Amino acid sequence: MLESFGYLAISWLDPWLLMLTAAGTLAGIYVGAIPGLSVTMAVSILISFTFKWSVNDALALIAGVFVGGVYGGSRTAILLNIPGAPSAIATALDGYPMAKRGEAGEAVGLTTVMSVFGGFVGVAALALFAPLLADFALMFTSRDYLLLAMIGILLVGTLSGESFAKGVFAGALGVLIGMVGLDPMTAEGRFTFDTITLMGGIPYVVAMIGFFGVAEAFVQLHQLDLPAVKQKIDRVIPRLADVRRYFRVAMRASGIGTVIGALPGTGGDIAALLAYDDAKRATKNPEVPFGEGAKEGLVAPEAANNAAVGGAFVPMLTLGIPGDAVTAVIIGALFIHGLKPGPLLLVETPHLFWFTVGNLALANIFLLIFGLTGIRIFTKIVECPKAILIPLIIILSAVGSYAIQNNPVDIYWMLLFGVFGYFLKVYGFQVGPVILGVILGPMMDSNYRRAMIGARNDPATFIWDFLSHPISCVLLIAFLALLISQTPLGRLAREAWRGRRAQGRGAG
Amino acid sequence: MSSRAQRRPGELAFAVALLALSLWLFGEAFKISGFSGLSTPGVFPMLASGLMVASSLAILLKALAMSPAGGGLRQFLADITPLRQTVMVVLVGLYILAMPWLGFLAASGLFLFVSIQFLWRRSPWLTALVSLAGLAAIHVIFTLVFQVVLPKGTLLQGLY
Repeated sequence: MLESFGYLAISWLDPWLLMLTAAGTLAGIYVGAIPGLSVTMAVSILISFTFKWSVNDALALIAGVFVGGVYGGSRTAILLNIPGAPSAIATALDGYPMAKRGEAGEAVGLTTVMSVFGGFVGVAALALFAPLLADFALMFTSRDYLLLAMIGILLVGTLSGESFAKGVFAGALGVLIGMVGLDPMTAEGRFTFDTITLMGGIPYVVAMIGFFGVAEAFVQLHQLDLPAVKQKIDRVIPRLADVRRYFRVAMRASGIGTVIGALPGTGGDIAALLAYDDAKRATKNPEVPFGEGAKEGLVAPEAANNAAVGGAFVPMLTLGIPGDAVTAVIIGALFIHGLKPGPLLLVETPHLFWFTVGNLALANIFLLIFGLTGIRIFTKIVECPKAILIPLIIILSAVGSYAIQNNPVDIYWMLLFGVFGYFLKVYGFQVGPVILGVILGPMMDSNYRRAMIGARNDPATFIWDFLSHPISCVLLIAFLALLISQTPLGRLAREAWRGRRAQGRGAG
Repeated sequence: MSSRAQRRPGELAFAVALLALSLWLFGEAFKISGFSGLSTPGVFPMLASGLMVASSLAILLKALAMSPAGGGLRQFLADITPLRQTVMVVLVGLYILAMPWLGFLAASGLFLFVSIQFLWRRSPWLTALVSLAGLAAIHVIFTLVFQVVLPKGTLLQGLY
């Protein structure tokens, strides 16, 4: 116990780590706030730069960027009605009307306090539940990991993007990209086309930078000339009465956020939308109607998306399965540093776990400090024209791709993925599942084969193993339910149910 | 999940291209170890590429069911690959190709100047100033904070 506290306090007591966390949080707020720069983009580029650093330094910076970035999106959502990040879409619904009424400062202040509140709930959940889950996860077999990974990719594929088929395609494509190179079990080449370059595989950080950085930059070129709206900012420190009043809404939203964040594959964006929806339903008599500047509608998504940060770390650190796109990128960073996220992480490297917990808490404190100060300077930086920003992003992406192995070929990959990712995005595909697939693909492959070898290559035994073990069986049911709900069969069932309900209403 | 009634320009061609890509990848996956066993290196790639074939088929069928985008190639060029995107992709390509030759600093400086001038359209002096400032910031951050090795060019004996 005492030891854990020692690890927890590492970044609180070391001035250098303290500085890195602060710098990360500050940078994250800006990255999140500037539309077109996403946290995922920033973290994937950062990983390529920090992989030579010590693990603690790199993680301190990345945790700061993550926490700051999720929050930062709310700023532009409130001030300009442009969500800086997907997780701030719900924030704009009520935040912007508040700003239009001249309450921008109040909205920013309330958002900051509630985000920090949500963040702490998420971190507390991580500290409490991750060790329990890790103990439980020791009972998981390769079958269960295979199912968990498939559920994760399926969740990302279904909840984002235009159609289920597009989500599945993106996920499977990612899995294939992850397969390229020498097979880790037999050292046979897969998709190498007898070239030495491909034998080492495609570095996943380059794929991330291509899909999240370059592709996004090309998409952003469509909206180069969005006019910036200037808002007057008055009072920033929220009223204590307000904080007390919306405490319950924030508490509920944080709970939702933590759980959604912890589900493999779903992150802050979905958490925020669900929490907004929940707050809308739970608030019977809002002071101002939702959509016209209700403070409940501002508090709920912001508390939820920051709570989802802590939640997203739970499956990543305990199962090795990322909770959302950003943790998928962070898991890549852990691999690069030679760590193996999974149930043994807490046993083998407990310091890393408690360090992360302490770090996230610290980043939330910095969030409170930076969030409530320096708003005026802030609005100036966000007004930086995209015409300057986009070329800079591309240079950062190129350097990031090169820095991983000092190999110019990786920059070509980056451009290839960037152009391909651009077309995918334009035609309504999401790139999140691709990245999740790249990270989880090799893990799924080896777990599938282990399970199959365990079943002595007999398909009947293989299937029976899934049904006869309780954990596998529950996961299999969850997977199938998710799958069926997305196929025509599920749609028919839903329609039938809806029809019956409508009939019942008509009769009553 | 929104359902559109009309295709985006080029969507059908893209769906066909994805199907072709998936089929080719499935063929490559089959070549790894064929159907020789259930735990061979080729099984999982075949499963994944098989899924890609199935889902791209579904995407294609859905695209076929939508009404055509109209406008033909001209609309595609205007909506999907406008001049701005095309020029930028070409510029990035040139930048990447020039980097081993010119070195990181010179290539990046040129790229910044040309692309900002192209996108921003202000006075060249202002663009030059902005690019120089950006380049200086990147250089300082990378060499001092991140200590990243930046590619040096062969021209001028790797001076830059």
